[in-house]
Amino acid sequence: MRLIAGPVFDVTEHVIGARWLADGTSVVAVPSAGAPVVWDGADISRELPDHGMLGNGCLAVHPTAPMFATGGSDGKLRIYATPKDSPIEVKLGRSWIDRARWSPDGSRLAVGHGKDLLVLNPAGEIVWQSPPHKSTVCDVTWNPTQPDELAVACDGGAYLWKIGGPEPFARFDWGGASLIITWSPDGRWVVTGDQTPSVHLYDVPRDFPLHIQGYESKVKALAFSSNARRLATGGSPLVTVWNCTGKTGPENSTPRQLEGHDDLCVALEFRPGSDLLVSGGADGRLLVFESEKSVRPQAAYLLDAALTTVAWHPMDLRILAGTASGKIQAFDIRP
Amino acid sequence: MTTPSRTPVTILTGYLGAGKTTLLNHILTGQHGRKIAVIENEFGEIGIDHDLVVNADEEIFEMNNGCICCTVRGDLIRILGGLMKRRDKFDHVLIETTGLADPGPVVQTFFMDDDMKEQFYVNGVVTLVDAKHILQHIDSSSEAQEQIAFADVVLLNKADLVGPADLDGLERRIRSTNALTKIHRTINAEVDLSLVLDIGGFNLDHAMELDPHFLDEEDDHGHEHDHHHEHHDHEHDSEVTSVGIIVDGDCDGPKLNAWLSELVRVDGADIFRMKGVFAIVGNPDRVIFQGVHMLIDAANGGPWGARERQNRVVFIGRNLDREALNAGFRACLV
Repeated sequence: MRLIAGPVFDVTEHVIGARWLADGTSVVAVPSAGAPVVWDGADISRELPDHGMLGNGCLAVHPTAPMFATGGSDGKLRIYATPKDSPIEVKLGRSWIDRARWSPDGSRLAVGHGKDLLVLNPAGEIVWQSPPHKSTVCDVTWNPTQPDELAVACDGGAYLWKIGGPEPFARFDWGGASLIITWSPDGRWVVTGDQTPSVHLYDVPRDFPLHIQGYESKVKALAFSSNARRLATGGSPLVTVWNCTGKTGPENSTPRQLEGHDDLCVALEFRPGSDLLVSGGADGRLLVFESEKSVRPQAAYLLDAALTTVAWHPMDLRILAGTASGKIQAFDIRP
Repeated sequence: MTTPSRTPVTILTGYLGAGKTTLLNHILTGQHGRKIAVIENEFGEIGIDHDLVVNADEEIFEMNNGCICCTVRGDLIRILGGLMKRRDKFDHVLIETTGLADPGPVVQTFFMDDDMKEQFYVNGVVTLVDAKHILQHIDSSSEAQEQIAFADVVLLNKADLVGPADLDGLERRIRSTNALTKIHRTINAEVDLSLVLDIGGFNLDHAMELDPHFLDEEDDHGHEHDHHHEHHDHEHDSEVTSVGIIVDGDCDGPKLNAWLSELVRVDGADIFRMKGVFAIVGNPDRVIFQGVHMLIDAANGGPWGARERQNRVVFIGRNLDREALNAGFRACLV
């Protein structure tokens, strides 16, 4: 397996998000400051409005349509129906918007805004708003199996909400602080990556928490395989892959530890329908693993700076990587 | 220690209504030539709508269960981590705490979190005090006392609403709590911004710059204060006080280290700030140190040269036992 490097696009600032749109034709990249860009993968780009002097906050790419949204320090959310359209702009308030996620069917967009969890439709209308949480909503994720359920990381744990509910239908409290949250594709596990070097898993049907420690640093990257059998975690140079099957999941199990990074793994994504796992490291290495077959990477490429984001092409065997130096680069994978 | 590549952080505290927002507005609109990002607390007072202001919701967590010095602010780590991704860094960051906040976790965030330590240093804590109303709540509010205890600089604001004699009394009252702080009287929170932004209070180099008379003042005022209030009106019998120690001679390094370690292990929760300069036997250089709760940091302060080898240390905290601290320190002398 080889990685064939494509052209580089420079957005000059740390890339906080870069993904292909759902139709696979264009890339949207959001730098930490300055104009987000739409890039066709070759030469053409379009600059989009930025989100103020304190910077941009997030990118949310629609799962099925060439739609996307950006948010940032200006408290605004901009929803683009296509890369060529003018955005629908919604000013949500004074709090920074650094987390937004489309629902799996693309009918709603969840946004963490200060202590609030907001759900908007593609027209930018707020269709539901949670009661305020005790602290800032750090991240939000949807239940892939229940379109009305979503979870937020905040206030030292995870709150699980059903849209319209007056209070969370479940809460997992561990007293720390999380950076990211994700929900397994089978709806069983809600997982947080934490500022203390650890991962918390909540077995939702069993109402049972698990705590995994031993990471070297904050866990900023989590990825489930699309069959929900594997959870890959960053936070160390080794990519740790947990078995989430069986009655107890990772409890008392030995994970696979994938090698190849010299510094922390900070970005991860499984290819849908596959065990192919792409990993980005603070060492600038982009690694591709056949995660069920080998702990060694099948392909590797060294970029000029720490990676910050990785993403699979929605159809093709291609990878997109963004770096702390502001570079965006696409790679083809060849046998 | 500070390094030029790290960004200074000033922490702005003060009880509700003391004038924090007014000061922030001065800073944001002042012609100081610096690009300052402001992290504003979400609660209470009127928010500032400005491109360089971001809101934060206090999120406190313990990095290690049960250890007070490991209590940090998760929201700040996230926000500052985001701000510092940009190539064109900010010159300064100013963090406003809520009127009821304990500054400890804010300060400790910059000592405990690796990312924060790498990119920022705490320049100092500035506490706004409402000269007109502080006496109404200073004895009943532990938060108000702690905000003064942590301060490198106190802005005695609304000074125009109080007579000179009362201002003098307030200054003595503040110094009885925190003998190290610099006090500036202000009206409408107007102050030379360099007095707020260029403090260096948490810089070990500045730990040596203790006012040579501060202990005299502390002792004088402390005794006068205690005497006055304990025996006359009892109104200002403050729990949060400063204890200063000046002793000539040399310390036994291992003994001093053991005593300080035990002191912060047992009483660290009650000790808000510590600063000092030590003479260690066999060491031609000054040893400077400072601490917050259970976190202590020491560094070489350069040669004593012709100066008298004199140990000077100040503890600011709650329920401090002056005699025990003196005895404990003197036991470290050779």
